[in-house]
Amino acid sequence: MHLSREIIVEGLQRIARPENVITDERVLRESSIDRFRKYEDIHGVYTQPLPAAVVMARSVQQVAEVLGFANEHGINVVPRTGHSATEGGLETAVADSIVLDGSGMNQILAIDTYTMQATCQCGVPLQVLEDRLREQGFTTGHSPQSKPLAQMGGLVATRSIGQFSTLYGGIEDMVVGLEAVFPDGTVTRIKNVPRRAAGPDIRHVVIGNEGALCYITEVTVKLFPYLPQNNTFLGYTLDSMKVGFEVLREVMVSGYRPSVARLYDPTDAAFHFSHFAEDQCVLIFVAEGPAGIAKATAEGIEAIVAGHQECRRVDSTLIATWFADLNWGPEKVAEEREEIKQTNNIGFTTEVSGGWGCINDIYENALRRIVDEIPDITMAGGHSSHSYINGTNMYFVYYYNVVDCKPEEEITKYHTPINKIICEETLRFGGSIVHHHGMGKARAPWVKDEYQSSYYILETLKRAFDPNGIMNKGTIFPK
Amino acid sequence: MRILVCFKVTPDFEALREADWVAGAAHGVETRYVRRIFNCFDESALEMALRLSDTLAGRGVTVGLGALSVGGGEAEPYLKTLYALGYERAARVHSEVNLDFAPAVIASIIAGYVRRVDHSDLVVLGCRSGPGDSGTVPFLVAEKLGWPCLTQVIEVEPLTDDRVRVAWMVDDGLLRVTLRLPCVLAVGNAVVSHLRVPTLTDRLARRNKRIDVFRAADLGVDITGELRRGTCVLAGLEEIHRARQGVIIAGETPREKARDLFDSHLKSMIEKL
Repeated sequence: MHLSREIIVEGLQRIARPENVITDERVLRESSIDRFRKYEDIHGVYTQPLPAAVVMARSVQQVAEVLGFANEHGINVVPRTGHSATEGGLETAVADSIVLDGSGMNQILAIDTYTMQATCQCGVPLQVLEDRLREQGFTTGHSPQSKPLAQMGGLVATRSIGQFSTLYGGIEDMVVGLEAVFPDGTVTRIKNVPRRAAGPDIRHVVIGNEGALCYITEVTVKLFPYLPQNNTFLGYTLDSMKVGFEVLREVMVSGYRPSVARLYDPTDAAFHFSHFAEDQCVLIFVAEGPAGIAKATAEGIEAIVAGHQECRRVDSTLIATWFADLNWGPEKVAEEREEIKQTNNIGFTTEVSGGWGCINDIYENALRRIVDEIPDITMAGGHSSHSYINGTNMYFVYYYNVVDCKPEEEITKYHTPINKIICEETLRFGGSIVHHHGMGKARAPWVKDEYQSSYYILETLKRAFDPNGIMNKGTIFPK
Repeated sequence: MRILVCFKVTPDFEALREADWVAGAAHGVETRYVRRIFNCFDESALEMALRLSDTLAGRGVTVGLGALSVGGGEAEPYLKTLYALGYERAARVHSEVNLDFAPAVIASIIAGYVRRVDHSDLVVLGCRSGPGDSGTVPFLVAEKLGWPCLTQVIEVEPLTDDRVRVAWMVDDGLLRVTLRLPCVLAVGNAVVSHLRVPTLTDRLARRNKRIDVFRAADLGVDITGELRRGTCVLAGLEEIHRARQGVIIAGETPREKARDLFDSHLKSMIEKL
């Protein structure tokens, strides 16, 4: 039997104390969505079922008790920390859900500069951890654009990646151990060791689960020396993305590991680099690390790029200056809201990945279809920003004017059809439909096409760990 | 009604690194390394003119919209954007000389363009723009044209083909006046501050429209002579420090924090009142 909203709230107040259970309607409305529905939010239109309450968890024990309560009564739980998700993963797809907010669990528990790892609770903002580490000459190496907003639990839950990933890896390469709570209230800890071969690496059941299997309460990540004095910025303009992908491939295959390796198409470049690259692609590299490695990396990259005559070097200060203004904090979010409200022009990104043999096909075909098939497009472009030995990602960036439709129709008229095109083209050429934002609810409809026969493993995890289906319904697994 | 909007493409100062806010010897802060954007007040002016045009078009009145910028080729992509948005005329006056700190020269060029080329009866422009930021160009343009000028304009609505109602900010509030054209409007913190965005289809349809390029001499302006006669020379720049202090209030619950806020900070302030 389903509990009424009042009974749910009473139960939560008993577990977490009344002051930690928020039922203010405005908070509930804003907690029913994430940035995927920013257009609706800007217009004050909320179409998702309202949660019963937002619970500000203060301890692992509270998380376990809330999950146990929800599991017993079949109440949907949406785990969150920084509330900066972009793919609908934080939407409350079911009425009277519990939004379990870990942002109050915000203690850095240990910084061990000998073993080179830091342990923190799920609600520690990455910016706070990173600032603390840099004061001591260290870094996590993790620097997503959302760094001023995102918190450690959410970053791990979505398999996030940062701007320096080509050297440091994604969050999955950084997490050495963690603590998570499962729907039945079981608290599990995966210990912090350099490597393990004692069976499957179960960290990866938790990393990227997007709150659909468990709640991450604590993470331990690796540390690296912070040596910005050795950073070397390299920038080039060039004519074609195809050549750009070839340069990226050569750099990666030759064994160089710049922290940043980016390729912008002319449309996306016009957005960022109009002061030096008109109608041109832009290639960017940052070499970092110990002085000798940074120098050798920069020289190696320069030699590779020199083999491509269409690449023209630009002043490194242009790249260093641009990089310093890349992150998204609350002020940019507020600015964007005002601009969207006035212009009805809104932009989103969809990030995918593909092997070197297909990434240009994914890029060209998806963009062509977006421009041909979607109305009112004002900008459609993209960039590659995370490269690997066997391929790279493509970060599609698109803007459109919302014309002749209500705020609640924006997603079905524009955003979902664009996502559909990108997913279809990515799958057609053998890539992955999500590179680092998480599936959320936005791309869940394509989960079986993404996983194909391995969906058996994913589905079995869900059945095993969340048999009552209370964890973030609709995220990863379509409703 | 024939409207001319004058705009400047400026460095995006918000994208400057903190360390780069250093006044150089010759041209002030080094801005070569940041992207260019519409000067924010000019952006408001450009959108304001489009809205005027939309309103009059709804009444069956045709408005000729024109845009003008002074400087190098960096304005061309922005002029193309304005064509895509429905501006009928797009021109720039080429100058290889840095005119950031020469508002009188800029005003002479604009006035010359209005008289000799454009013949508009409403000139709209931002009330000021960086890096010069003199805030004098609109007044100087009005003076040279012999037209009235309103500054700190935040809204404009058309009444008839030759009259507009203008809302402008003054020290004590907001004034609304009816103006007969011709006139110069200097836009301040406008209600609408962002320029609409053209679709790719609109860009494609108008991509071949020609941007007219003039020299100052074509408009009867002798830049070198005017600069020589100028009385205003950049002497130096100094950063104004506006750092503010903050205190983080500790406490387990909102109630505790509110109590601490009152006891430690607000109570003494209230007692002093």
